[in-house]
Amino acid sequence: AAAAGGGWAAVCEKFRTARTLSAVESRKDPETEPYRSKYSARALLQEVKQLLSAAEEGGEARLAAVRRAVLEYELGVNHTDTEELSAGEEHLQRCTQLLEPHRLSPDCVSLYIQAQNNLGILWSERDEIKTAQTYLESAEALYNQYMKEDGNPPLDPSEHFMAEEEKLTDQERSKRFEKAYTHTLYYLAQVYQHLEMIEKAAQYCHTTLKRQLEYCGYYPVEWALNAATLSQYYLSKQCFMESRHCLAAASVIFSQAGQVPSAEDNETEQDQQDLRQRKAEIARCWIKYCLNLLQSARKLLEDNIGELDPDRQLELKAQRKKEEDEKEKGRKKAVLFGTSDICDSVLAMEEKVSSVYPLDFQEAREIFLVGQNYVQEAKEFFQVDGYVTDHIEIVQDHSALFKVLAFFEEDYERRCKMHKRRIDMLEPIYADLNPQYYLLISRQLQFELADTYYEMMDLKVAIGNRLEELDSHTIKKINSLAQLAIKYYELFLDSLRNPDKVFPEELEEDVLRPAMVAKFHIARLYGKLITSDSKKQLENMQTSLEYYTFLVDYCEKYPDAARAVETELELSKEMVGLLPTRMERLRAKLCPFI
Amino acid sequence: SVEGDAIKVYVRVRPPSEGTVLTDGDQGLCLSVLSSNTIRLHSKPEPKIFTFDYVANMETTQESVFSSVAKNIVESCMNGYNGTIFAYGQTGSGKTFTMMGPSDSDNFSHSLRGVIPRSFEYLFFLIEREKEKAGSGKSFLCKCSFIEIYNEQIFDLLDSASAGLFLREHIKKGVFVDGAVEQVLSSAAEAYQVLTMGWRNRRVASTSMNRESSRSHAVFTITVESMEKNNEIVNIRSSLLNLVDLAGSERQKDTHTEGLRLKEAGNINRSLSCLGQVITALVDVGNGKQRHICYRDSKLTFLLRDSLGGNAKTCIIANVHPGSRCFGETLSTLNFAQRAKLIKNKAVVNEDTQGNVS
Repeated sequence: AAAAGGGWAAVCEKFRTARTLSAVESRKDPETEPYRSKYSARALLQEVKQLLSAAEEGGEARLAAVRRAVLEYELGVNHTDTEELSAGEEHLQRCTQLLEPHRLSPDCVSLYIQAQNNLGILWSERDEIKTAQTYLESAEALYNQYMKEDGNPPLDPSEHFMAEEEKLTDQERSKRFEKAYTHTLYYLAQVYQHLEMIEKAAQYCHTTLKRQLEYCGYYPVEWALNAATLSQYYLSKQCFMESRHCLAAASVIFSQAGQVPSAEDNETEQDQQDLRQRKAEIARCWIKYCLNLLQSARKLLEDNIGELDPDRQLELKAQRKKEEDEKEKGRKKAVLFGTSDICDSVLAMEEKVSSVYPLDFQEAREIFLVGQNYVQEAKEFFQVDGYVTDHIEIVQDHSALFKVLAFFEEDYERRCKMHKRRIDMLEPIYADLNPQYYLLISRQLQFELADTYYEMMDLKVAIGNRLEELDSHTIKKINSLAQLAIKYYELFLDSLRNPDKVFPEELEEDVLRPAMVAKFHIARLYGKLITSDSKKQLENMQTSLEYYTFLVDYCEKYPDAARAVETELELSKEMVGLLPTRMERLRAKLCPFI
Repeated sequence: SVEGDAIKVYVRVRPPSEGTVLTDGDQGLCLSVLSSNTIRLHSKPEPKIFTFDYVANMETTQESVFSSVAKNIVESCMNGYNGTIFAYGQTGSGKTFTMMGPSDSDNFSHSLRGVIPRSFEYLFFLIEREKEKAGSGKSFLCKCSFIEIYNEQIFDLLDSASAGLFLREHIKKGVFVDGAVEQVLSSAAEAYQVLTMGWRNRRVASTSMNRESSRSHAVFTITVESMEKNNEIVNIRSSLLNLVDLAGSERQKDTHTEGLRLKEAGNINRSLSCLGQVITALVDVGNGKQRHICYRDSKLTFLLRDSLGGNAKTCIIANVHPGSRCFGETLSTLNFAQRAKLIKNKAVVNEDTQGNVS
């Protein structure tokens, strides 16, 4: 330390310049010499290293070692930045070796963790994800051990080359340390994703988001979108409470973004537009939330023909009552976002919609209404003019919301009206849509329209069955609904034809099931048409038979197809056996004298 | 299975630039063409065999590449299909040569002219033939636009003064670039003129704004509209032909082609912005449940959404350099091409009527 004096100040100055070159200047390097500043920084670091070894002979060994480790770290990062991985690895390894004995002490722990982070990145660049994982996990373990055993804000690595009066505050130290650890978690999230440890990856994403919030290292819009997207992961796992929490947090944080007055107040039209789009995106995540919650509840409640099972309903209601008492415990287990004030807003947001399965119409309706509100909000931005695909997807979700709500409705007339609402929103869009550019959506709409008419017809039949006798109005209604269902199924099947209007010999895998179901439903619909004209009835039976036969023949020719349509095939076979006899009987009635 | 949706993939091997083979010796090549649809990559320890729809070796002529790759697509464009031809590969693998031809000024009559000028010629040849066959009953209107996608921003190459443009959708016309200049074309020569003019803009931009041409995608689109009068019934048909020069594949590390590399956090606060990509990936592998992902496709995939399967005809020409120094890039190009064969527009129909067979 004797040789230091003015010398030490110069060393610190060189070190500082090197860091500025590396972090700030290098971004302005010309494309032809992308690493110019990095190379200059490297030269400076080498100089510092030499000055140190000259000055510190006989000095305190531990201090010298730690300072050397800082330099090795900087050199390691410098070399990896310039694509010299092997050299970078050597430096980083030397850094960790020097620190090994002191890694749990406050002046070393942060540096050690950062060195491990960088070794993780380095090995991932060599496509050795497993090796990267070991470094990052050991960094994680070290953080936890340090926090448990010491926990004081540790030194930032740069402080080893600072004069006493420049040293950082505890608050700043802690902020930097926590950030280094957040990076560890963020890299681990990526590692787990690459290793397809999905659940773990999601957990680390969640924690990263949480820490971003805690240490104010986030941009509200970006953060909100990430949280909203994460909610969709939880949806796919049916974790509705977590999903709702992410969405509520996304909405709360997003609303902050709108409130922040922009620095120069010259926000462009484009920025405004972007903000509106993000808001609509989050609304769409909410729609999916409501939809999934309703659909999952439906799955729980339906019997084997897709109707509400009242026994199951009672059973689930009893079960829920029991669970409610334990609810508080479960709540604490979830990872919560935010510190007190944010947390309060998030909780308030959550209260607006349930996260437990709705078990009756009233409960279902409440979730439906929330979903429907978000449909309106999303549509405000995603208008059909300019955002065709998004707009239609939202309308499809709206229709799906009605569909699942109808499941909970016990009154058939009212249920029928809900399906009519679906028709009213889907039909005009379908009519306008150009299938040359929107073939896929066009097919989806055809199929959904067909299905909706089919369902309405079934309902009308059920209503009719309760009557003493079918009145002509009901008959007309049933027939016209059936005809419309047939029309849309046929449109769907026609969309599979090639330009020469020929139906494919063999169906592509992705349209196999829908095409077969369409054929099967058409067959059934012809069977349901009501007519007093026996000749007409015979014709309908004939058509019906042809469609059933198609299914049977097709599966005979392509046995693999049978797996996709097991139930339908079985019933078709039965009908192919039955119908000819019935038709024979009808024919005999028509011409009794033959 | 059935001919149609799957994307056709062609691989073309360019000759090594002069002198390369000599300096590298006999072992200078990293691959060999085994047949007209297989290629062997001399990887260690085991060589790897790739199969594609068509493999063009170093001797294959421009004419023959055109016939096997583009002819069909131009024809189906006349039949009302949308068609797209992509060129993919690392910088220096011969994309521009394949698509445009030698980098001289007048490629249009050059015997080595590429797929694009030849497609123009063939398209207008077909139009003339149709017109003659149908007489006055049928008329055609051809328009073109030429845009560049750089850094997820869209620029109009036919109007260098324009600022960034936006992608929008129209319920009848599909995806379009809002405000892009459309130029009417009456002949192949005119089409070529527009193309070269735009291409020059692309180069100018690459120096004045410090952009590197291989970092941008260029999309040249021809709209063919035919009108047929049959008695009082007017039948209008329209289709698109997209010719796409993709950015050098080595520049696409940030898209889906990348390997296992971790996204670095850097120093500034914004640093964790890639977290969204990780989360998106997690949701992507979800189990087909209803969900919405907040992050959009890239501009390029959005623009060419119709081209990936559905009722469009698409082919990719993967260009590779045979030099052993390019081994890594060649392997990744071939892997990409292999994956591209699997791309299809999944016609998922919401069909959940199980049980409803009473």
